[in-house]
Amino acid sequence: MNTYNPITALLIFLAISVFAYLLFRPYKGWYWLIKTNSKSNGKIVVEDILKLLYHSENANKHLNLNDIIRTLKTNDTLIVDSINKMAAHELIFMEGDAVKLTKSGSDYALRIVRAHRLWEKFLAEKTGFDRAEWHERAERKEHELTKDETDILASKLGNPQFDPHGDPIPTNTGKIAKIKGTALSELTVDTIGRIIHIKDKPDIIYKQILAEKIHIGSLIRVVDKTASRIVFHSEGESFVLAPIIAGNITVSILEKDVVVEENLARLSILKEGETAKIIGISKEIRGESRRRLLDLGFVKGADVRLDLLNPLGEPNAFLIKGTSIALRNNQASKILIKKV
Amino acid sequence: MEVKAKSACETCSHFNAEGLKRLGVNTTEVDFVVALAGNPNTGKSTVFNALTGLRQHTGNWPGKTVTRAEGAFEYNKEKYKLVDLPGTYSLLSTSEDEEVARNFILFGKPDVTVIVVDASRLERNLNLVLQILEITDRAVLCLNLMDEAERNHIEIDTRTLARYLGIPVVPTSARYDKGIPELIQTISEVANGKIICKPHRIKNIPKNIENAVQKLSLEIKKEYPEIANSRWIAFRLLEGDEHIIELLRTGEFV
Amino acid sequence: MKNKNIEHIISLSNDLRWQIGDEFHDNLAEGIYADAAEIVKDSVHKTDEKNKLRLDARIDKIITSKIWGFPIMFLILALVLWLTIIGANYPSSMLAGLLLDTVHPALKAFASSIGMPWWLDGFLIDGVYLAVAWVIAVMLPPMAIFFPLFTLLEDFGYLPRVAFNLDHLFKLSGAHGKQALTMSMGFGCNAAGVVATRIIDSPRERLIAIITNNFSLCNGRWPTQILIATIFVGAVVPNSFSSIASLSAVIGIAILGIFFMFLVSWALSKTVLKGEVSTFNLELPPYRPPRFWKTIYTSLIDRTIIVLWRAIVFAAPAGAVIWLISNVYLGDQSMAAWLISSLDGFGFLLGLNGVILVAYIVAIPANEIVIPTILMLTVLVTGIDGGAGAGVMFELDSVSATGDVLRAGGWTLLTAINLMLFSLLHNPCSTTIYTIYKETKSVKWTVVASILPVIMGFIVTFLVAQIWRLFI
Repeated sequence: MNTYNPITALLIFLAISVFAYLLFRPYKGWYWLIKTNSKSNGKIVVEDILKLLYHSENANKHLNLNDIIRTLKTNDTLIVDSINKMAAHELIFMEGDAVKLTKSGSDYALRIVRAHRLWEKFLAEKTGFDRAEWHERAERKEHELTKDETDILASKLGNPQFDPHGDPIPTNTGKIAKIKGTALSELTVDTIGRIIHIKDKPDIIYKQILAEKIHIGSLIRVVDKTASRIVFHSEGESFVLAPIIAGNITVSILEKDVVVEENLARLSILKEGETAKIIGISKEIRGESRRRLLDLGFVKGADVRLDLLNPLGEPNAFLIKGTSIALRNNQASKILIKKV
Repeated sequence: MEVKAKSACETCSHFNAEGLKRLGVNTTEVDFVVALAGNPNTGKSTVFNALTGLRQHTGNWPGKTVTRAEGAFEYNKEKYKLVDLPGTYSLLSTSEDEEVARNFILFGKPDVTVIVVDASRLERNLNLVLQILEITDRAVLCLNLMDEAERNHIEIDTRTLARYLGIPVVPTSARYDKGIPELIQTISEVANGKIICKPHRIKNIPKNIENAVQKLSLEIKKEYPEIANSRWIAFRLLEGDEHIIELLRTGEFV
Repeated sequence: MKNKNIEHIISLSNDLRWQIGDEFHDNLAEGIYADAAEIVKDSVHKTDEKNKLRLDARIDKIITSKIWGFPIMFLILALVLWLTIIGANYPSSMLAGLLLDTVHPALKAFASSIGMPWWLDGFLIDGVYLAVAWVIAVMLPPMAIFFPLFTLLEDFGYLPRVAFNLDHLFKLSGAHGKQALTMSMGFGCNAAGVVATRIIDSPRERLIAIITNNFSLCNGRWPTQILIATIFVGAVVPNSFSSIASLSAVIGIAILGIFFMFLVSWALSKTVLKGEVSTFNLELPPYRPPRFWKTIYTSLIDRTIIVLWRAIVFAAPAGAVIWLISNVYLGDQSMAAWLISSLDGFGFLLGLNGVILVAYIVAIPANEIVIPTILMLTVLVTGIDGGAGAGVMFELDSVSATGDVLRAGGWTLLTAINLMLFSLLHNPCSTTIYTIYKETKSVKWTVVASILPVIMGFIVTFLVAQIWRLFI
């Protein structure tokens, strides 16, 4: 205790804190890096290459070695090694300078795609992660799930057909449903349709679509279209998109006699004492939250009144089917109403 | 006033006051099992206490009873075990309380299910009632908090209600012990098969779902002819309820 | 054969589910409510439509108003706490007089009259009995006041309005408004607070409420805070201000606890709990006049007695351990003295001392016995006069005499402040830990809830100690 000095003690403490931060900070902490590295890195690269080849072959593009190296951001020797290994295991073969999948290679790739999409579905339905995180988490998880685990996951989720982006999930026998739809950018004015797919790549465009609060399952009606923009209504709001972005959204066209409610508003705009009729809940609310709202009586046709304003702005209480229920603004703003 | 109402009923021809013994937590060797279901905040625990003579805490707060409580009473020399299920708004979701309630009504095979509802919020409460009636055909509707409904000038035509639902309806104010004798009498009549229920089935379902439900329910009946609630099983299968699928495979619930 | 048919049914249901699409649940819920509306239309009649301004609505207008909502809330909370702390004083000292000053000597006399060996007598009467008696004397009266008051508010229907008023603040830290109530319940007893989190039906927010409940200063810790603040904080200001100064110090600690609760809630919701499902719903039930005596009775049976019983079960072995470590010798030193000297260095770093750390280790079962243990151990290691013998916990009648013993143990204002901080920020008592495990059924979250506060306690007291020594 002779050497004790408050400043030394504080400095030692600071050093330990910095070290702990470097070790455990999210994702980039040394501890996490070592943990992920210890898992076979080779396997991940192999599976990433398989996936890349699978998606390009689906789009009728053929990649050569250079394309692969350019697309995957891993070191080159690792990729070349992996390609050699994959050829030896007959997962791929060369045709000219194009790398192609064999039957067993494409089966393998399909399994990874299945794991990825199922995991995204799982994240969407059963966890509270933000949807901007789904893709990245699934990118990591797809390498960890075994075939049996994937099958168990699928049956837990009720063997879903589509992932939350609307992409089909391959079955365990490798069957894959077709998406029948038209790109939003191709629709003509006054077309009514339902959004069935939003491409999650490229990342920049996907994030932009997410920011616009456009979601799978919602009904849309195209109201205006020019060379530089496409305007459509959905869930009571108006959206303006550039064709390049609209091209990433797929819509299934509906018969004309489907009534798309116009002049919708959101429950959050109701003023004290005002009454409205509920038209529906936005497709943005899903899983447990959606079921809970329905159970509480926020169903199509129900009358709702703003019962009580909160002294802090939210949550406000709404009188629905005889009971006062408080909702936060992020919930109320996703319940579609028509004022009466 | 309360006392008068009570005594008036104890002299009526149906209820046999001497035959009632509240047994508290002594639930051994029972003749009938009675489940108590209902929305949160409908005075379900008060009804439970009134029937068993227990004093479970009853908060004015949704979701008080999370684990199920049990008690018993004896009426006309027959012992009834009473199981207080967690209060839920619905049986369709995946939360823990709903699972407890759903599984007990479906697999615990209660002889009678008493559904406690708030008389002044009947419409909201019927959501749960209609779901339960898909599962079981031996139920009693306990129209509780009648005092509050009266205060709010709400009149309920219990006969019309009973006709619609196909089960007996008993108005009560459990806080003031009103209507409890009639409730006990009705429970015993349903338990002994003196009252046969013809429960309401949900009608306002889109055609494509109704067709799917009928198709499935037919297949289930083929496999398990003795099953009473094939429609509900079909609903759960369409929902993708893992638990039901598992039990269907093992055939345990029959 | 049978199996094949079952698989056929399951795959049929999969196909049908695909055909119906994800609208199934919506359609079913709408269908059921449509049926309900039809039934209600024919069987329910509202005779008085004009009676819109119900009494409920009028009460709600006031207690959720911008002007009155918060003052009413704080007033009620302050009143409940004040009634609890002040009201418990008298019965507490009466119980202490009975159990500690009358029954304990009587038991000792009886033991010696039947010739019980000294170690059995010490182990059972000085160890086990004394700890249990202490917990009852300190814990029972405040809980018997606090829980019924809280339950009355609950039965009336006021508590959901508190959750309603405060939800926005809790939302900012990723928590649920109902946490305001579990937190307030924690002011009575953390174990009861943890049980109360059942009212939060969203998994993520419920875990947050469970893990942070310990930051509510509980019943077992209020007396420690008040005693230490009176002795040390009250002494640094002129006499006329001393009670105000010590009172503000205690309130300051409680508010600091609320601050840490928000901070940790926020951090948890952004990191480890990010993936848990989060939903929100809050029903505002109608007001119902509570049935006074029934409520008092059930809350005593349901909450007070159960929590007290759990505390006793845990306190009894703690008493035994306290007696044992002070009376079992390793070489020429008792185990307690040996532990204290080995923890003294670490204690000094935290601005505390070995005695305090040892007291907190052996008193994990109940915060109530921390002060008696500290006094006993201080007398044991300093060898000053006082106390009732090795391993026999005691408390002194006068506050100044307690202060004298502690000062003789080397206590300064820094020790006092850090003890108050450490009393706020340390692991929950074992009753609470056990309750957390029962509620979460998860070892992981129980460990997090137990370790996290004590690490924060180490860091905070350490920093305070160094900065104090640098500048004062």
